[in-house]
Amino acid sequence: MLSRGVKRKLEDDEEIMAAETSGAFDSSSSLPYPQQRQLVLNMCLSKLQSCHMKVEPSLHRSVLLANTLRQIQEEMRQEGGDLLLESPVYPNNSSVTDNTMSSSLCFSSSPSYENDGDEQPVDSRSSDSLFGSFEISNSTSYLTDLALDDIFEDIDTSMYDSSDFSTVMSFPVPRSPVSSSEDTMKSFPTCISPSSNGIQICITDLNDLDHIMEILFFGISQFSLT
Amino acid sequence: MLNTIQVLCSDITTLSLEAKQFASYTEADIISTVEFNQTGELLATGDKGGRVVIFQREPESKNEPNCQGEYNVYSTFQSHEPEFDYLKSLEIEEKINKIRWLPQQNAAHFLLSTNDKTIKLWKVSERDKRPEGYNLKDEEGRLKDLSTVTSLQVPVLKPMDLMVEVSPRRIFANAHTYHVNSISVNSDCETYMSADDLRINLWHLAITDRSFNIVDIKPANMEDLTEVITAAEFHPYHCNLFVYSSSKGTLRLCDMRASALCDKHSKLFEEPEDPSNRSFFSEIISSISDVKFSHSGRYLLTRDYLTVKVWDLNMENKPIETYQVHDYLRSKLCSLYENDCIFDKFECAWNGTDSVIMTGAYNNFFRMFDRNTKRDVTLEASRESSKPRAVLKPRRVCTGGKRRKDDISVDSLDFTKKILHTAWHPAENIIAIAATNNLYIFQDKVNSEVH
Repeated sequence: MLSRGVKRKLEDDEEIMAAETSGAFDSSSSLPYPQQRQLVLNMCLSKLQSCHMKVEPSLHRSVLLANTLRQIQEEMRQEGGDLLLESPVYPNNSSVTDNTMSSSLCFSSSPSYENDGDEQPVDSRSSDSLFGSFEISNSTSYLTDLALDDIFEDIDTSMYDSSDFSTVMSFPVPRSPVSSSEDTMKSFPTCISPSSNGIQICITDLNDLDHIMEILFFGISQFSLT
Repeated sequence: MLNTIQVLCSDITTLSLEAKQFASYTEADIISTVEFNQTGELLATGDKGGRVVIFQREPESKNEPNCQGEYNVYSTFQSHEPEFDYLKSLEIEEKINKIRWLPQQNAAHFLLSTNDKTIKLWKVSERDKRPEGYNLKDEEGRLKDLSTVTSLQVPVLKPMDLMVEVSPRRIFANAHTYHVNSISVNSDCETYMSADDLRINLWHLAITDRSFNIVDIKPANMEDLTEVITAAEFHPYHCNLFVYSSSKGTLRLCDMRASALCDKHSKLFEEPEDPSNRSFFSEIISSISDVKFSHSGRYLLTRDYLTVKVWDLNMENKPIETYQVHDYLRSKLCSLYENDCIFDKFECAWNGTDSVIMTGAYNNFFRMFDRNTKRDVTLEASRESSKPRAVLKPRRVCTGGKRRKDDISVDSLDFTKKILHTAWHPAENIIAIAATNNLYIFQDKVNSEVH
């Protein structure tokens, strides 16, 4: 989206200036705060997830992403009650279905995931290598020894019980009053478009706290080879 | 001072690493580090393809006094090759992360180069004579049958074309689990350190099979990890002092006399966060990408995503100077985060007298800040604007309001053209700017006119 302005000609300049002064310049600033936060959260998750695909991701980057995630997490946890009520409003075309969510959950929580049958070689390879590296390091195999819930037990996820969540979601979701929201969401294709291989890592609600923490933990624990 | 930094471009055709002008380049051609030696006579670059190119400054010629200062290719060699770590099933890139010159002690020059894991010591030497007249060996160097040798012949040294030889002298391997981000030669000229994301090791330049771990911030559980080491450097003349920067925006000064493992810093430099600028990206943009001691040893220069800061070693609670590199990006952090630019690691440099600082930005721009007059300038390293001997025009990024002619709007900045690596000649106003696969060398105009 930065490239949008690259090849403007002179006659477009006034337009640019108008856009600048109106503040609609950076799409994120036109979004209400919770949605901005959600956007950042989603990008964090997809970036962390893509880190896993790399053989040796940058630890620096992963730590920065994880800290940002933690910060948003903490913020959401603190205002958790309110947030459930004003649950983020998503356009109906947000393409996040229960199916894709469950498959993404599966992907990150169990190394030997078997579901849906339409698995992609890319992902199974990456998860193999991920766990392969743990075996080689011969260190404590965190992922198998520890229940993930225990690791982040300080975070109370009970209020985001999936049943509550589904009742909230079963109401017809009204369009966001911010009419531009669809447009602005479009400018972040990594977050809303279904990924080509079917794994949808778009996390839309607090319901997925567990999942987020798994990704977080997952991302960092890759580096535990001493 | 800054008005004298009207820079001249040296003959860039000899300095461009491209085969042809505007030829497409490969990933391997991207320059990943630039470093002058202690006298400024030599300049080394490393690239993503593991190559090191050394440039040498031409001596002043009598016929063309203006020629002084041009750098020409002196030697090129392959420093690192892609490797595969079979134990961990990891590919190790050949990309040169850092080059550091050793102070010159004899006719030869020595430099250290490192990729993610392995540091190598190289000897760069000249040869312009060769011995001739051996009669104990045949043309191919094989020993002759001694019974056929009937006379004793003393070989003589005959002049030949100058040859620059580069040979590997030491390979320091297997000491880093994470990616090496910095190497720094100690002022004792015998030791150096190498820093990765979580540890710093101290080496003797002559010993490759042993290093001492002087900093280790790896937590017992990797889940508790929230901070990594981003850069480290020795004090320019106190051999016991070094500093390292972190991803949380802090600097730690350590004294090796205090203990063998410097887990407890002597000083912690940290500026409290400005609550008015708080955003989701506060931590990411406060991560320090480079730290440099001033030549005097009194100050520290740090670069984070949006600013450069000067710290006084005697004041830990805040920097004495903060300069905005491209504050207009503050409103665009979300996009820069989305396209991963926010993770770019810009370096910073001092001039020879510690009065001017320089750092890179986007759109092939780089910035200079005069510490005395508080003036700053934005310059551009591009083929169009830097014809040989042309004077660089200051550029201006327009941030709303009235837009002057030649201003560039924030929206049209090219974020794929970034100047991450810059170096300043240790004594003169000559700077080297790495812009993707091109190296630009600019020189102070006044300086070259005097010569």
